[in-house]
Amino acid sequence: MSSERELFRTDDTQVQTETRDARMTGQGDRFNSKLREVFGSSPFILTKFDKFMNWVRGSSMFMLQFGIACCSIEMMHTYAVKHDLDRFHAGVPRASPRQADVMIVPGTIVSKFAPRMKRVYDQMPEPKFVVGMGSCTISGGPFQEGYNVVKGAEEVIPVDIHVPGCPPRPEALVYGVAKLQERIANGEASPVTVKPYELEQFGDLEQDEIVDELASEIDEEDLVMRYNWADSP
Amino acid sequence: MILQSETPLPDTLANLLGLGGFGVAGEFVASFIAAFIVGNVMLAMTGVAGPWAKRKITAKFTDRIAANRIGPAGIGTIPADAVRLLAKELIVPEGADRPAWDIAPLIVAGSAMLGFAVIPMGSGIQVADPEVGLAYVFAVASIASLGMVMAGYASNNKYSMLGALRAVAQNLAYEIPLVITGVSVVLFTGSLRMSEIVAAQQETLISLGGVAIPSWFVFVNPFAFVLFLAANIAEVGRNPFDIPEAPTEIVAGFQTEYSSVYFVLLYLGEFLHIFLGGAITAVLFLGGAAGPGPESIGFLWFVVKIWAFFLFTQWLRSAAPRLRIDQLIEVGWKGMLELSFLNLVLTALIVGVVV
Amino acid sequence: MSSLQEGEETPEIESGETELEALLDDLIVDRDDHENAPAFVIRPDTVQETLGRLKEEAGYDHLSLVTAEEYPDRYESIYHLKKFDDPTDEVSIVVPTDAENPVSESAEPVFRTADWHEREAYDLVGIDYDDHPDLRRILLPETWQGHPMGRDYDQNRPQMVPLREHANPLEDDHRSESDSDTMFVNIGPHHPATHGVLHLETTLDGEQVVDVEPDIGYLHRNEEQMAQQSTYRYQIMPYPDRWDYISAGLLNEWAYARAAEDLADIEVPEYAQIIRTMGAELCRIAAHMLAVGTFALDIYGDFTAIFMYAIRDREKAQNILEDLTGQRLMFNYFRLGGVVWDLPEPREEFFEKVRSFTEELPELLEEYHDLITGNEILQMRTVGTGVLPEEVAKNYGATGPVARGSGIDYDIRRDDPYGYYDELDWEVPVEDGCDNFSRLLVRMREVEESAKIIEQCVDLLEDWPEEERNIQANVPRTLRPDDDTEIYRTVEGAKGELGVYIRADGTEKPARFKIRSPCFSNLQTLPEMSNGEYIPDMIAALGSLDIVLGEVDR
Repeated sequence: MSSERELFRTDDTQVQTETRDARMTGQGDRFNSKLREVFGSSPFILTKFDKFMNWVRGSSMFMLQFGIACCSIEMMHTYAVKHDLDRFHAGVPRASPRQADVMIVPGTIVSKFAPRMKRVYDQMPEPKFVVGMGSCTISGGPFQEGYNVVKGAEEVIPVDIHVPGCPPRPEALVYGVAKLQERIANGEASPVTVKPYELEQFGDLEQDEIVDELASEIDEEDLVMRYNWADSP
Repeated sequence: MILQSETPLPDTLANLLGLGGFGVAGEFVASFIAAFIVGNVMLAMTGVAGPWAKRKITAKFTDRIAANRIGPAGIGTIPADAVRLLAKELIVPEGADRPAWDIAPLIVAGSAMLGFAVIPMGSGIQVADPEVGLAYVFAVASIASLGMVMAGYASNNKYSMLGALRAVAQNLAYEIPLVITGVSVVLFTGSLRMSEIVAAQQETLISLGGVAIPSWFVFVNPFAFVLFLAANIAEVGRNPFDIPEAPTEIVAGFQTEYSSVYFVLLYLGEFLHIFLGGAITAVLFLGGAAGPGPESIGFLWFVVKIWAFFLFTQWLRSAAPRLRIDQLIEVGWKGMLELSFLNLVLTALIVGVVV
Repeated sequence: MSSLQEGEETPEIESGETELEALLDDLIVDRDDHENAPAFVIRPDTVQETLGRLKEEAGYDHLSLVTAEEYPDRYESIYHLKKFDDPTDEVSIVVPTDAENPVSESAEPVFRTADWHEREAYDLVGIDYDDHPDLRRILLPETWQGHPMGRDYDQNRPQMVPLREHANPLEDDHRSESDSDTMFVNIGPHHPATHGVLHLETTLDGEQVVDVEPDIGYLHRNEEQMAQQSTYRYQIMPYPDRWDYISAGLLNEWAYARAAEDLADIEVPEYAQIIRTMGAELCRIAAHMLAVGTFALDIYGDFTAIFMYAIRDREKAQNILEDLTGQRLMFNYFRLGGVVWDLPEPREEFFEKVRSFTEELPELLEEYHDLITGNEILQMRTVGTGVLPEEVAKNYGATGPVARGSGIDYDIRRDDPYGYYDELDWEVPVEDGCDNFSRLLVRMREVEESAKIIEQCVDLLEDWPEEERNIQANVPRTLRPDDDTEIYRTVEGAKGELGVYIRADGTEKPARFKIRSPCFSNLQTLPEMSNGEYIPDMIAALGSLDIVLGEVDR
């Protein structure tokens, strides 16, 4: 078994730091201000306009109706009678990702689901925001050591706000959403960066043992997500 | 007693602004201004209804508070929602059938706007009063189905496709009872002209202890009113007939793939259709803009009536389960259609014998 | 193969055993008894014959669980059989297979439910089942490399998961052989009606469902591996809360507690049993409330009044549970041998709170009946749809409200008593409509029964003498059950028969920990209920099954 292990980096010091690098670099303009591109700099009227737009985006948001695991139960409670997230102008669940602004990721992400979640995230129109709910979206939580568990939502999509807890209480989620609104109103958002686990075309992947093994099963054009478990932080 | 102004709004405006002297061009400008005013009034109402009133009403039915942070009772959510939705990225799905995909939302919203042209809203607000007003309003309102089919077909999404097909099946099944029931009212009035339908409802039906009950057709023929209401709710696709959208079954139906501006148009279009449904109900059964007080506040009564209809749809949304598509079609073809014809025949007999 | 453990088996069962031995005489190779049941070792090519005889002639009609595990020298599949009439009458069939070429005969022709169980065994452990209709991976992606519950699986190995586009909706689709006018739709894994991350591969003919195939594994978070890496005494207990996470935490914890306590011969004090019973039934109320609420959501189509009211009433149950355990959802309240702490002080206030909850419950349920079951449109939608006949339900190993909605009078709390249930006065609601409406009714009536149980528990706890309030038995700090002892124990979870199989190897961690998830078996019945029905009925049927993906996928 030790000889097999050589094929994959399991030593922490040898691990590629793509994950961390990807997070540090790369800036995307989340707010897509075309006017700003045209003007180049930021004249007074545009800063006021931006401020207004940020206020608008922070003041009202549609949520994606999206449940994964345990946290989605507490998320339902957050939407419902007692905690009523809609008081913060953030409680309209939309079933279609095309019409949602905020995705609350409520639970553990496993290998089979991550490509689908990535796809749903890609289907949302910009500007979009993500609230990671619970420990599993931070690190994999109690299931971090599992063979099948993605170690946090950040591995797949950018996350703006992390709400810790297992599961977080509804009050905590309300606080997280309020904080997200505050951030948006201040014009802050996590940059869109290349994530370690991206959807790529199978044909574009570097040849190695696992690609060879699967070559007969997966078409060249199929999108795949490759998990380098040893690289996970 | 004639509450309804006989002069349509463009003529009033033309007189007011002295545009009469410019001939066709003047008429055109006057009509344009009138349409602009009516259109904006209705858009403003849907603007209030869509992002705010709907949430507040649903919240009241479900023991919640809903939006309350910006402005009194959260009314500030309206501009915020509108600007945010309009400023979102417009995603065109791969494989979308382009011109159809773009035109569909316009058709859905536009068809409802066209309908308002002939609605007498009281206080002299009516853009046009053609002789075939009622036929016209039913005709344009049902163009929306075309928009839904286009939206569903062009989206290249299976849920959209299912939603579109459901929308067609539903509209086909309920359009006929709707129109037939509407015709039973026409039997009384003898005219399709909207203002005459309203005028026919102004006489006192019966006086009870000094309170004069007008001869609104809801009192004259309550059976037809119930039929019409049910068919109308199916026509605008609200619970329990919200089958074309059915969030738990087919995500968001024909509008699944729409984002940003187009989504706003579809969303607005739906609310416009609710209000148009309310307006038709008000004109046919609830005496149009009639109500206590001077004639000049007729518009307020009209608004009250269409909002009452809106409230009714929201009440159903909170309380009524959704029918299954085959049950809906069955109710439409086997129940509503027969009942509406029965109603028509009975009304014809009564009108022929009594009146 | 293992040391025969002399249990507390009654002579009655022993005489049953001799009969069984006679029945299977030519098939039995060896004995390998478990703590809970006699176990017979058979050859891998006689699985169907053995199980067939047991089902037809001895009346073991319930295949509760299939456990697969890998030993250094062999693979083993264990079929845990029970009787729906008497779940205490158990027998296990152990099928060892060769380490090099692990092929065993499939039990699917005898018990339909074995289909998914054997697919899981193939997926996670790597046993091949001969004669299985559709042996594919079930929990892990189809392109996964290796079998993770096997002995030498390298967890750091990279894996690849494809995301395949589905075909254009307007193109012809020829999935169904008989009719080319069908359309293939993926429902889920992100869809408002799937109650989490379930994927339904649906073939439609217009609005009608020709074929539906649940694709699970989108929440497979290695619960069994986690338990195998944790110590019995403290580390495993937090995980059961996360199996069925709809507030059914205490019910799940009890499944583990029951298995581990019986394995280590721990006697739980009576007082703790009453607290457990009360807490568990509060959990059941909360879980059923959500089931009713989401079922209404599926039928009504929006976050309507019923959903909100259900959540409102759940809040009340959760508040009481929070007072009791300190947590809203993931309680971690049971300990082996008892519970972690006594009722909160002041006790009177707590009792008052529980009583006011149970007292107003009938009134609340009346409101639900007015809104839901009394609604004619809802009856139109649910009566006679999603029909699951009794025999089919048994064949699929359906349990809990799903089985009871199909007229199967089966409830572990009564039939295989544990806790304090046999001392209390309550009933098992059974409806024989076999449809969506019956399952809804069963859940609502179970809420009433749970309230009755809670009331009786509160009365008992209130009068319990202060000096006898013993919440915890003496349990050694480190628990090391004897080497090579095996046990399979079930309890009545919110969704049905929830079981845990543990094999001890003399260390402080289990060598094999297998969860019998009721939702896993229940979900398997979905195609039976919805093939040929309309899409909305399939959604309603799925809602009435009340699955929790955390428990299906584990």
